[in-house]
Amino acid sequence: MTLAAMLLLVAIGFCAGGFGALAGVGGGIIVTPLLAIYFGLPMHQAIGVTLLCVIATSTATSSMYVERHVTDVRLGMTLELATTVGALIAALVAHHINRRTLAVLFACFLLYSAGSMIRKAWDSRHAKREEVIPDYTPQNYPAGLAASLIAGGFSGLLGIGGGPIKVPVMLLFMKVPLRVAAATSNFMIGVTAATSAYVYWGRGDVRVDIAAPLVAGVFAGSLLGARISPKIRAFYILMLLVCIAGWLAAQMIYKLLTGGFQ
Amino acid sequence: MSRQDVAADRVLSLTLKFGAYTAFALIVAGLLLQLAVPWGAKVAAAGLLVLLATPVLRIVVACLQFLREHDFKYALVSFGVLAIVVLAYVLGVQA
Repeated sequence: MTLAAMLLLVAIGFCAGGFGALAGVGGGIIVTPLLAIYFGLPMHQAIGVTLLCVIATSTATSSMYVERHVTDVRLGMTLELATTVGALIAALVAHHINRRTLAVLFACFLLYSAGSMIRKAWDSRHAKREEVIPDYTPQNYPAGLAASLIAGGFSGLLGIGGGPIKVPVMLLFMKVPLRVAAATSNFMIGVTAATSAYVYWGRGDVRVDIAAPLVAGVFAGSLLGARISPKIRAFYILMLLVCIAGWLAAQMIYKLLTGGFQ
Repeated sequence: MSRQDVAADRVLSLTLKFGAYTAFALIVAGLLLQLAVPWGAKVAAAGLLVLLATPVLRIVVACLQFLREHDFKYALVSFGVLAIVVLAYVLGVQA
């Protein structure tokens, strides 16, 4: 690999990790399509590499959330029982799904994520930050476990974290405060992604030459992002991510229609 | 939140930081070495392996913390998660 390509990968990782930490969303969803469209990686390899980026973001940012006592480790561990099972099954199945189908699923998920980010951005304009976390007891574990199983499945299949699925369920059905839900989801994502990453790694779908510079960038970006996030308004970053996600979804659809992703 | 939980959070946070910074340092060192010597890529790969091991380490640490607090229910839950992740590792190696 040329030095220029390596630096480009570091920069992509830095942006994905930084934007992700600033906006409170996983930056992974922009990494997979970038690798698949512009670096010509097969979908399975793009997903395998992205899983490592997801673990890096989760590890770097959740160390800070845990320190601030925002993460509910007990709740996270319980739901991980379901996310890991979903991730394991999906990672085993993903191998037998052809690249075009994976690309179609990914494009759909990109659009869904863009939609949920628009809603999140809109809410962030008015909502005040919860400074003090109210007392709560998680409710409706069956709903939480079911959503976690599905989120884990998507994670293993598409290399994403699954936050857009878990966080709303924790918030609406389990009655967990938003900040706790987001931090706990973030904590879980690393374990979920690692479960499927082992399967991808074992199959040789994790390209070390591509993953190493990307992960280095993700680490730097998310450590910096998590540090300055309390001082920055998420609105503009979310809107920027919506534009990037929309553009990448359009590119993927165009490539699919013109017979790409074979 | 109890005092024990606050202490447990600190240990868990330190574990995550230790994993993150070790992996980060190895990967950056590997990338730089790669420009000079061929075995640099192996150092970067070792960094990625540390990254992959950190989630397992965090489950083990959480499990031990629960045991220390005599919270056997959640120690068992952590152990269950650990079992699934190890199963994934075993299946991954065989694949």
